[in-house]
Amino acid sequence: MKVKENRDALEPEGTSPTNAKTEQEIAASLKPESAEETLSGSPRVERSEAGKTAGELEVSPEESKAHALTDVEGSEAAEVGELQPELDEVLGPSVDREPEPAESTPSVAAEPAPALKVNSFSREQPPQLIKVAPHVLRYWTRRDVLLFGAGAVAALAGAGSLLPQATLERLGVIHENKAWPKKEWFLNRALRIDDDVAEALYSENRLIPTYTKSQITPLKNNYNGATPDPSYIPNWQLELTGLASGLRVSLNIRNLLSRFQMHEQITRLVCVEGWSAVAWWSGLKFDDLLHAYPPTSQAKWVRVESSVNLDPSGNPDPYFVSLDLPTARHPQTLLATHFNGQPLTVDHGAPLRLLVPVKLGLKNVKAVTKLSFVAEEPRDYWAERGYSRYDGI
Amino acid sequence: MSLSTPTYNEPTATGTFPGKPDVLVARKHHLLVRWSHWLNVPIMLGLILSGISIYWASPIYQHAPDPQTGNFDYFADIGIWVCAHVPGLHHYSSPPDWIYNHMSLGPGMLGAALRLHWLCAYLFMLNGFVYVAGLALGEGWRSLMPRRTDLLDALRMIRYYIGIPFARLTRRKWLHPRFNTKYNALQRAAYFSVPVAGLLSVATGWAIHKPMQLHWLAALFGGYNAARVWHFWLMWVFIFFVLPHVILVLADGWDTLRSMIVGWSARVEGSEGLENEG
Repeated sequence: MKVKENRDALEPEGTSPTNAKTEQEIAASLKPESAEETLSGSPRVERSEAGKTAGELEVSPEESKAHALTDVEGSEAAEVGELQPELDEVLGPSVDREPEPAESTPSVAAEPAPALKVNSFSREQPPQLIKVAPHVLRYWTRRDVLLFGAGAVAALAGAGSLLPQATLERLGVIHENKAWPKKEWFLNRALRIDDDVAEALYSENRLIPTYTKSQITPLKNNYNGATPDPSYIPNWQLELTGLASGLRVSLNIRNLLSRFQMHEQITRLVCVEGWSAVAWWSGLKFDDLLHAYPPTSQAKWVRVESSVNLDPSGNPDPYFVSLDLPTARHPQTLLATHFNGQPLTVDHGAPLRLLVPVKLGLKNVKAVTKLSFVAEEPRDYWAERGYSRYDGI
Repeated sequence: MSLSTPTYNEPTATGTFPGKPDVLVARKHHLLVRWSHWLNVPIMLGLILSGISIYWASPIYQHAPDPQTGNFDYFADIGIWVCAHVPGLHHYSSPPDWIYNHMSLGPGMLGAALRLHWLCAYLFMLNGFVYVAGLALGEGWRSLMPRRTDLLDALRMIRYYIGIPFARLTRRKWLHPRFNTKYNALQRAAYFSVPVAGLLSVATGWAIHKPMQLHWLAALFGGYNAARVWHFWLMWVFIFFVLPHVILVLADGWDTLRSMIVGWSARVEGSEGLENEG
């Protein structure tokens, strides 16, 4: 039989009438002097507080039983008959207060009933004492320690296996750095949850902080790989596909600069690596381009591409990211043409780069050459390399 | 409210061993508190290991690049120093990576580290709710509340710890200060601060994870860059807590360690009931 303890009787803030009754009973049994002492914040308090301090503890089984029974009657009268045989083992806190540590003679008859502090909500309560047979205690210990050990081994194996393959290889746990699809799947699930949270946090109406010119900080050239040769700039064109018109449109920088209104903003660009820079940008709003060249009605995404990117050894390494259309429509999402009041240099993606400060820097594609409006989430350069896809910050 | 009790269903009735008297044990930690306590071990380890890997990508503490090595990271400097001075490490292949190879997932693991960090961070937050639920159901939160007497009691504890070596040397008896509360003032300060540090870690974590949507949160900590510094040093709060915590638990004995596994303490009789550390 499972014994239900009368913990409710100890609740300092009783919520039910039955609780209130037991509280009164307890309050009635308080020793007046200890009640006074526990109320005051003086160092004397600790000496008089009932507790686990062994030398000060006297519990008479008979008395405890009697109190436990009182509690039962107060709160769970229906269970009394059932509980009675088991009460010896599950006793409520019934602790006598004895300020003298040396005192060892039981003072059952002389002392009034056990004292329980219920006068303050946040007051520390004396520990609940349980009376058990030694073999039961050994059983509990064995059971809990074995369960804990099994759990610890499982946790060690589970958590250890989630470490990156390269780390496990370095530690000598595995000897081959082979991909483990199930692990990748699991870790990517966690990544997707975080992306979903980021998407839920995004609001198209929420503007991000802007700064003054005095707050501008240096922005390094963080081209992934080598910086491209500027020879692409004279022939640069921005290609648009997936438009409602069904046409494929190519625009050069003069078209863009003359046709669209320029906007300035000083915003923070945050890199996935952790560094950030406050920079002064100007360009056209992505939203204005979307109005001038509406995408097909099915389009939910835009694939942003730069064909001029190079890998670290200087070989062509086209860069592509996915961008959701709600973010593209954000009023602070620019197709930037100027940096610090000057036309973009090749370091910063001349002649036109995406500036989407509500995303990580890696979505802020330099030297954009193509925008494709698509219905399905397009591929993403960094998502394919183990990073997240949405990257909303 | 019966949630706090189900660990104590006894296997057999008592009275079958009439020769052995029953013993008293004191309830110490709620089941949910114990779970969250131990779950914190792998979660925090994962957070710190992946966190230092993330730090590597853009160290907060940088100096002008070294003319010879090009190194600008103080953390890497420590690794270089260790490799130069610790015997047996003189031929370490990449001294700047030593710290990252030993205190993180390794250098150049940003993608993998971020993925693991988010996973552990969500688990850490869930675990925090489990802990709070355990504190509320087991009413253990009352034992963590700071008191007016704490400052004086903490000084008494510090005096006690400082005195231990002298007492040992002079073979004099050195009594542990008496406290009838669950924790002494130093313990209480530590066990109260750690959940607060956990909360701040989560808050600064969100501030640097979503500095645009939650820019007010970043502003609360002094902006995005300052929130990173906060987040970094909060990690050290946990490290500086865990070291004495583990040492004191081991020094205090099996009962204290066991109580975090089984939930109760047998220290209700005898003077050792006073010395609940850890």
